[in-house]
Amino acid sequence: MPDGPTASERFLNGILPENPVYRQLLGMCPVLAVTAAMLPALTMAAATAFVLISANVIISLIRGQLRPHLRILVFTLTIATFVTIADRFLAAYLYEMSKVLGPYVPLIIVNCLIISRCEICASKQTVRVAVADAVGMSLGFTLALVSIATVREVLGSGTWLGLRVLPEAWPNWGIMVLPPGAFLVLGLLLAGVEWWGQWRAERAALAVASVSRSLQGQSGGAAREEEASSWKA
Amino acid sequence: MTNSRKIRGYLQQAWLVLLLAGAYGGALAGVQMTLAPRIAENRRRETYQTIPQLVPGADRERTVELWISDREGNPARVYRTHDAEGRHNGWVLPASGPGFADDIGLLIGLDASLKKLTGMYVLDQRETPGLGDYIRDADFRRQFQGHAADTPIEAVKSDPQEQQIVVLSGATVSSSSVCRIINTAIARMRGPLLQSQAAASAAGGDAREQEL
Amino acid sequence: MGLATGDLGTREVASRSGGLDATTRLGVQIAPSPHLSDTWFTTQRLMGEVLIALMPVIVMAVLVFRWNAVRQISLCVLACLAAEAIFARFRGRPAPLHDLSATLTGLILALSLPWSSPWYVPVLGSVVAIGLGKAAFGGLGCNLFNPAMVGRAFVMLAFAREMGASAYVLLDSELSVVTRATPLSLAKQFAADLAAGRVTAGEAQVQMEMAESIWALLIGQLNGSLGETSAVAILFGGAYLLIRRVISWEIPVGILLVSFLFVELGHVFELTLLGPLQHLITGSLLFSAFFIATDPVTSPLTSKGRLFFGMGIGFLLVVIRLFSSYPEGVMFAVLLMNATVPLLNRWTVPQPLGGPVPAKAGV
Repeated sequence: MPDGPTASERFLNGILPENPVYRQLLGMCPVLAVTAAMLPALTMAAATAFVLISANVIISLIRGQLRPHLRILVFTLTIATFVTIADRFLAAYLYEMSKVLGPYVPLIIVNCLIISRCEICASKQTVRVAVADAVGMSLGFTLALVSIATVREVLGSGTWLGLRVLPEAWPNWGIMVLPPGAFLVLGLLLAGVEWWGQWRAERAALAVASVSRSLQGQSGGAAREEEASSWKA
Repeated sequence: MTNSRKIRGYLQQAWLVLLLAGAYGGALAGVQMTLAPRIAENRRRETYQTIPQLVPGADRERTVELWISDREGNPARVYRTHDAEGRHNGWVLPASGPGFADDIGLLIGLDASLKKLTGMYVLDQRETPGLGDYIRDADFRRQFQGHAADTPIEAVKSDPQEQQIVVLSGATVSSSSVCRIINTAIARMRGPLLQSQAAASAAGGDAREQEL
Repeated sequence: MGLATGDLGTREVASRSGGLDATTRLGVQIAPSPHLSDTWFTTQRLMGEVLIALMPVIVMAVLVFRWNAVRQISLCVLACLAAEAIFARFRGRPAPLHDLSATLTGLILALSLPWSSPWYVPVLGSVVAIGLGKAAFGGLGCNLFNPAMVGRAFVMLAFAREMGASAYVLLDSELSVVTRATPLSLAKQFAADLAAGRVTAGEAQVQMEMAESIWALLIGQLNGSLGETSAVAILFGGAYLLIRRVISWEIPVGILLVSFLFVELGHVFELTLLGPLQHLITGSLLFSAFFIATDPVTSPLTSKGRLFFGMGIGFLLVVIRLFSSYPEGVMFAVLLMNATVPLLNRWTVPQPLGGPVPAKAGV
């Protein structure tokens, strides 16, 4: 496809600028449900990544043959297949973990992150771009799950990935392991990310303002144009 | 013919969906066939792993899964355990009932004559973390060993007497729920199990034969 | 306060929907007409009056729980003030410590805690009360939920053991009150015993024991959270608030009336062994009726709304006391009803003098 973001743009966008959780607020169900500890969060992130990458590759491969009115059907079919495969693999090789995750593995089917990537990227762009997009988005999703699970497991159990990080005397905050803790941590982290984004934007605006002020003091339009274009780039 | 043209039109539209459905179906069948034995084995192992903890001396491999009608005539799953020599030495009853937050699933161990509790194991629970979830702890579970199975067990705050266990501090509801689940399950199954045992000994069959 | 502009349908109110924060700054008061201006009416004065009214309760708490009460109260107040200062800095505003609202939040939180909870419970509760309960919504006047109750709910869920029924009891303590379970925990236990068929004859005895203790409940000789032991002290404070017109009668009356009725009903059906009068003066019911539910920011503006608000709390707390595993339901009842305040405000728009506002007036 001639237009649309390039592979590296897609990849980078997925991690932070368009982070599925902190920016798009997609896939809230696993974000809230499986982040009480790091291990289930990582397993969920891996399963979602597997489904997302596989679905993006298949959809991108067949994108030329997609009929507009049947495309959602094809997306759902593809996603459901890979989710079932992931679920069976977990039950066979990580039985304990699949019991912990319970219904949330089959529920990857309804994670809007995956169908939105099929629709936005994979059904329109080449396999290379689609893979880069899926990997970037998966990393972004993993980052979000891991950040929430870190806060919840450390405060709620005093451990991280099952390893004790706080002293035995630490009073476990039971609320962090319970559903209200998931909502509170998600809300606070969302606010934190938003605050950080605003702070960066303000700093960038200040920098631009100071540069243009210093440029106005200089004479010679050519130099100014050159500087300005370098800023745009 | 309009009809065949119609069908050709449908096929033109839907060949991709049909093709994908076929391919995916095949892939899933393959995955299922490869992994199903492993998954079933995982499930079996989970229950069987706890059996030696529930009935002392029981041999995991010699445990038999049975379906027996309970007092109301509904079929219920029980495990008949045997020691390494194949002698029948106990029963394991799966049971569940409401706890503080959600249903609690238990395995209850009884001796062969159904006179004594030999152990208790918590399969599923969603009790309050830091309070009710201590019902899984070995210290709490050990309290249940050795009580008589023909009278109900009671949960008390302190000074346990005969047929009493001490509740977890701050988790009275979870603790007494466990007692209630055990009492109900035993009351439900004790009669039918004794009957089946009597029938088996009347038939003169020993455990090994029944197994086969 | 979560009050959208124009909720009350009158232009006077619509022009200053900012809540108390805005109220103090603009020197106006949010209330249905008539609008009489009163420069004496400030946040600081309001909070100060409540502090005065709390004095008997604080004195009783210190008398009953001694050093434990002093410790909890000072930890909560200091932590609330510190949190207020820190969060105000975050938002780039001067810390409004002089308006006494943070002090009051700290006091109410402290008085709703058990005497035994370790230092991190009051401290964390205070930080959450001010941070999540108030600052996150935009400061005083904008918060939807009662900050002290938000803080208490947080520590209640976080430290179930340190806040549960067992946290109130210490068998070999020098303080005689804390060697017994709280009356509500006892009531819960006996009700469960009765339901299980374990006691039938014992019931009469329990009843008698409870009946004896009405006097003890009144003067504060039974176990409980710091501020809830003495009904007399709370009634003194509440009467002061009513006389000074700091709070209006609708909320306490709504709570007391409805909870009385429903406890009576529950008593008749043997769901609880405590009679309605005993229920009213046990636990934090009275304390919440006068000091917690009446928080001006998180209760409705109109008198009809306040009555419904109080009735809702009364109903919910009885439901929680009788049917849930918690012995006391005041905290959750207040938080749940807080959520309905914007709706109550909208439903109970008072009719201006001279008839309803025409639908398209002035448009």
